[in-house]
Amino acid sequence: MSGLLVTLRASLEPAADCAGVLAGAWSRLVAADLARRPVALSGRGPVPLGDLCQLTGDPDGTVRFVGDWRRATRLGAGLTEGAVGIEGDVGDEVGVGMAGGSIEVRGSAGHRAGAAAPEARRGMTGGELVVHGSVGREAGALMRRGLLVAGGGVGDHAAVGMIAGTIVAFGAVGPTPGLWSKRGSVVALGEVPIPSTYRYACTYQPVHLRLMLARLKAQYGMPVEGRHLAGFYRRYSGDLAELGKGEILAWTA
Amino acid sequence: MNIRGVLIEETFAEAFTMRVARIIVTARSPRWAREAALKLTGFATSVIGCKVEAGIERELPESETPDGRPGLSILMMTMGKDDLPKRLIERIGQTVLTCPTTACFDGLPAAPDRVGVGSALRFFGDGFQSSKVIGGERFWRIPVMEGEFLVQEKFGMVKGVGGGNFLILARSADAALAAAEAAVDAMASHPGVILPFPGGVVRSGSKVGSRRIKSMIASTNDAYCPTLRAITTTALPDTVNSVLEIVMNGTDADAIASAMRMGIGAACIDGIVAISAGNYGGKLGPHHFHLRKIMEGAA
Repeated sequence: MSGLLVTLRASLEPAADCAGVLAGAWSRLVAADLARRPVALSGRGPVPLGDLCQLTGDPDGTVRFVGDWRRATRLGAGLTEGAVGIEGDVGDEVGVGMAGGSIEVRGSAGHRAGAAAPEARRGMTGGELVVHGSVGREAGALMRRGLLVAGGGVGDHAAVGMIAGTIVAFGAVGPTPGLWSKRGSVVALGEVPIPSTYRYACTYQPVHLRLMLARLKAQYGMPVEGRHLAGFYRRYSGDLAELGKGEILAWTA
Repeated sequence: MNIRGVLIEETFAEAFTMRVARIIVTARSPRWAREAALKLTGFATSVIGCKVEAGIERELPESETPDGRPGLSILMMTMGKDDLPKRLIERIGQTVLTCPTTACFDGLPAAPDRVGVGSALRFFGDGFQSSKVIGGERFWRIPVMEGEFLVQEKFGMVKGVGGGNFLILARSADAALAAAEAAVDAMASHPGVILPFPGGVVRSGSKVGSRRIKSMIASTNDAYCPTLRAITTTALPDTVNSVLEIVMNGTDADAIASAMRMGIGAACIDGIVAISAGNYGGKLGPHHFHLRKIMEGAA
């Protein structure tokens, strides 16, 4: 068996702050060491991860979380390395402030995925956060670098205050994406409302999206279709109330 | 050794270590990928006068290119490690960036030695450029009138081999040309090999230095010029009236040797007297390609 497997013994009750589980170096930890990482249970304080989960397998730079993690917040916060798989849904702030490595969520994620921690000025600064389902509001808030992907819809205020980086949404994007964005990219393959502080530039075929989307399909099995690769995109520049070097690339046909 | 009546001389080709980059040029259609590649590899026959040697390695189907569009693989080579980045930047900047619909990618992703190309060309964007990291590699999006030019930030550089060669000694110019064309056709698209001269063929093989002008680093290879047979120390058999040379560069010696075997085999046709090779006595280049060893089993 390769890689670590973290299986919840029972549903999380109460909610659990998992920010300490994968912070810093973790990819070489054996299961017993990772089991000692702290989880902060709401109203009860920290407990070792091993008290809540069964950990098995050998370290190879990957870890899979199995069970109902919907009440787990900040899982993968500050991630810097390794490949993290979450087999179902996950709670708020998954991958918040992550700087490297990858997180793949097989289900949906809550609010503020890949965003900045409350005390931080920057959200994701690197790595890849791929959610096969939908993500909640303020995804990628204050994102500085990296890639955030949602196979489904994206909630309101995605990419708010985005400094750079890329968000790809296969489903519909909620109201006011990219507000106060400086240089970031929001790639919308579904419906997207364009904020009034964005201005239409042109309709074209960005070659870099062919690379990016092809990789998402190959690496994560995202539902990229030929029309996405060969299609045209409307480019909107913004946020013009900020630096204005950001963009929304909206697939058209 | 004889192949179909053609003498394979007991000699060797002497080649040099060069620095190589592999450039993948893609475009909306094969036509525009080729247009860019032809300009990119233009005036790049020999470092003697061109500073760089370059050629098209092979066409790439859409399934083999980074962006899934038609493309070509190009090898560009210089003698010095410091020269290659300069040549890549100036040539890609002038010929690929300018060509409609193209994008430009590194074809040696595993090479640990990386040189900045997109990182220099991005300044053409005058502050409007942007970059994206995809799969751990950074790509620059440079706004141009047509749309955007996409170029990879860094390109791999490895040691390669330049100056692999063989000489086709023929009874007539027509026979020499026919044999050379057959050789080039056989060697075309050989992985890891380019033929940097026009059509892959050289009619003006050179010797080191000059008899008369000390500053010249190369001059005509008079020993192989049929018109000088009577007045110089000739290397030509009596029946030879024309000589053409095939020069090849490659990513490694094995690729050169394999291509030479294919080319020499194809060149052994009616009207060819012998196949020889150019060398400097084995004192200058570390790579020696012995013709008879390469053609073992083909006779």
